[in-house]
Amino acid sequence: MRPSRRHVLQIGGGVLAGLVWPRPAFAAEPVEILMGGKADGSHVWFDPVGLHVEPGRTIRWINLDPGNSHTATAYHPKNFERPLRIPERAEPWNSDYLLPDESFSVTLPVEGVYDFFCVPHEHAGMVGRIIVGRPNAPSGGPAAQALPDLALRAFPSIDEIMQRGIIRRT
Amino acid sequence: MIFRFAAAIGILTLAVPAFAADQVEKAPPTGAYKKVSELVKLPDFLPGLGQLYVDPKALPAGPFLAYDREGRLVSTVYMLPIDDLANKDKRFDDLAAPGGKVDHVDVYFNAGHPGVEKPHAHVVLWHVPKADETRVAAK
Repeated sequence: MRPSRRHVLQIGGGVLAGLVWPRPAFAAEPVEILMGGKADGSHVWFDPVGLHVEPGRTIRWINLDPGNSHTATAYHPKNFERPLRIPERAEPWNSDYLLPDESFSVTLPVEGVYDFFCVPHEHAGMVGRIIVGRPNAPSGGPAAQALPDLALRAFPSIDEIMQRGIIRRT
Repeated sequence: MIFRFAAAIGILTLAVPAFAADQVEKAPPTGAYKKVSELVKLPDFLPGLGQLYVDPKALPAGPFLAYDREGRLVSTVYMLPIDDLANKDKRFDDLAAPGGKVDHVDVYFNAGHPGVEKPHAHVVLWHVPKADETRVAAK
């Protein structure tokens, strides 16, 4: 953990009562990404799976899956030696396991493409992509070879995110 | 393939008596079983399964013993990685079946969770009738 990283762990349904998604895009408020899953655990997801924000925006992941734990983990060699898929100047993050109703926040000041995954569900394709600002260099390339096929197929394209701003899970 | 495998487990379970050494009817079971939520970061009660116990040495396959909110055994669960089921050189032989009489069996895909991080099949040997599955339903 680095001091520059904002890390918030909140527990309790009372907190969640006010977190109705989607929320209006007030600049000071965090943008929320829900962690969800089917009751039998057969399908898990981030929603939205693709998001465009301006530099300095805070992202908050919330686990709303009552039967599973999830993580929001940046693709970075410091996280389980996963390939680098965030800007080189950006700080990596790893929420660790979030139980139901727990949340985690991180602020992204550096422009670029940020790919992240859920540690126990990367092989099931539970990944997401955040684009901060208007980056020139896309992620991917050789690093893409090290990812499970389902994860690679789950990333929305940069063009699609830039055009639509937000990509909900399908 | 998964379903043939599950059927084989079901037949095996019906044929093999419960292990007399451990008390498993009520939570917590005796012996080497540990509560799963104390081994990995998972909710203590999983909707659809219940409160799980496992012998850590038996991971990832199990058996996991599943209890309702009153601590009564409802099912025995095996968690079998999909990669292993598709591997002709991998077998799951002699899995313990300590829960006794099996009423029916469910088999379904699970995307993963702490403890069994890769996609796998849940093979659930229910020791209670179908109608009593609600004992481990979400509140």
